[in-house]
Amino acid sequence: MTARNIALPEAITADWMSREHAGILAASAGGDLRLDCARLRRLDSLSLAWLAGLHAQMESAGKRLVLVGIDARLKSELAKATLPRKPGVSGGRDEMGNERNEKLAYRVGEAAHALGREVRDLFVLLSESLYWSSFGMFKKKTLLREDTVIQMVRLGSNALPIVLLLSTLIGFTLALQSGIQLEKFGATVFLASGIGISMVTEIGPVMTAVILAGRSGSAVTAEISTMVVQEEVGALHAMAANPIHFLVLPRFWAMSLTLPLLTVCSAVGGIAAGLVVGVFFFRLSPASYLNELKGAVTINFIGQALIKSLTFAWIIALVSIQKGLNVRGGADAVGKATTSCVVTCIFSIILADAVFSFIFYY
Amino acid sequence: MSDDTKLRVTGLRAGYGGRVVLEDVNLSVAAGEIRVVLGASGCGKSTLLKNIIGLERPLAGSISMLDTEVDWSAGNPPLALLQRMGVLFQGGALLSALTVGENVALPLRLHQPGLPADVVEALVRMKLTQVKLDGSYDKLPNELSGGMRKRAGLARAIVTDPELLFCDEPSAGLDPVTSRELDDLLLGLRDSLGITMVVVTHELDSIRAIADRLTFLSQGKVLYDGTWDEAQKSGPEEVKAFLARKSGTADLSGDPVPFHLEEI
Repeated sequence: MTARNIALPEAITADWMSREHAGILAASAGGDLRLDCARLRRLDSLSLAWLAGLHAQMESAGKRLVLVGIDARLKSELAKATLPRKPGVSGGRDEMGNERNEKLAYRVGEAAHALGREVRDLFVLLSESLYWSSFGMFKKKTLLREDTVIQMVRLGSNALPIVLLLSTLIGFTLALQSGIQLEKFGATVFLASGIGISMVTEIGPVMTAVILAGRSGSAVTAEISTMVVQEEVGALHAMAANPIHFLVLPRFWAMSLTLPLLTVCSAVGGIAAGLVVGVFFFRLSPASYLNELKGAVTINFIGQALIKSLTFAWIIALVSIQKGLNVRGGADAVGKATTSCVVTCIFSIILADAVFSFIFYY
Repeated sequence: MSDDTKLRVTGLRAGYGGRVVLEDVNLSVAAGEIRVVLGASGCGKSTLLKNIIGLERPLAGSISMLDTEVDWSAGNPPLALLQRMGVLFQGGALLSALTVGENVALPLRLHQPGLPADVVEALVRMKLTQVKLDGSYDKLPNELSGGMRKRAGLARAIVTDPELLFCDEPSAGLDPVTSRELDDLLLGLRDSLGITMVVVTHELDSIRAIADRLTFLSQGKVLYDGTWDEAQKSGPEEVKAFLARKSGTADLSGDPVPFHLEEI
């Protein structure tokens, strides 16, 4: 069986290829593909890649690619060319004999394992932080006071304006919406207790924690993961400096001290906005608003709020530090870790809030 | 372990996750020796270093240095040992929030908290002079060039007069003159303080200048262990080719031409 020879031009260009490729493939349907290379003068990477691709296609169909009449110079060029290697046939192992396994069950198992490891690491970090800020303090001067103050300012105090602004706005909206409903029943006097309880127990702690997760948690992760990427954490380790003392404790305590305080500010801001709405929109007197508030927001609610905000502070501090320390790779890993930190923090905060609501209900 | 062996690695297997990178690596470094660990990119040089200094946990094998068996997996790192060794990281790894002076003083503040501040400062300035960074005491790391950062990292690594110094690619990314200066610094430190060094690098000029002995890694295994001259005379072909700046095993030709050629 002798197939027709297909003549190649002087140089195989992209234009030529896009015009002729389909036709050449169709012509090869009958048998071997024979290309007449008499006019061919140049073999560049594009032509080599094209020829190699045709060859692979022919071979998988059990046919041959034959180059007819290629001149001596091109022949020697062809002999020196780097053609694409065939994909390895090493049975899913790399050169060190490590097995690759891409099965679904394997991936699910690996993801579950990774999640388990992450949770375990978080608890290890929590216990180490608590140990080194309690019993461990007697062994060694561990808490760096100056660093803690710097972190308190950076992670906490600097967030005060945004926390106040947002909680005041939310308090305002909440008061207006619920006031309109309460007015229908002539019960606007309960505005104070509604705003007070919701701001103190729910919106204050959760909002503040979410703002801090986005603002300060992400900053911590970005900072620590950059330090890891630039080997600074490795250098600390090599100097026998415990990263817990240098990186973890100042941030852990900064967050634990400032988040409850910010929560108080947030609740006060929301309640004040409620007062303004009550006085100007629903003709309440400030005295009756405050009186009602005093009766509704008991010490119990304030205690709940503080427990919640301390828990949220630990979640943000530990998750953001852990995500930073666990980073592997380069600049892209820093970005991923930061995103993952914010998502994990917000999820955990809302989950913890749900658990708390359940506990406090009983 | 004999007295003059400062570092011994026996049957080390190492890797990340489930992936093995190094297999059965043995290494023993004598006192006062500059040992260069070399090999092509990706052969496991840096992994070896990370395992020795405890940044990664070995999968198998043992490491002993300065007459102490090291077990990095034990809860607390062996502080006494870490104080007797120094590490120069690839980019210097200075803490970016601290000035150069504070960076160099860090190991002293950590290990000898009782030292008076003026002694610490004098010591730090002395080490900075040693690495020719006199004027950079109050600068922040990001105000320094790459070579200066490395030298500052070196000053920090040697501020406690360690017995064992590990250097990860000291001359990578430096111009030939700066890299030569760094080599001279390392040689000077060995000669004046008798520091034993393990240097990971693939810069041939550097290796030629400083190495007493070479450990050549290839595909995760030790291919050659000996001096430069022996390697050139009787080493494996891959090592000879590497030292002669030739591509030894890297096969650029791909698969043999698969096409069927026909004359007219």
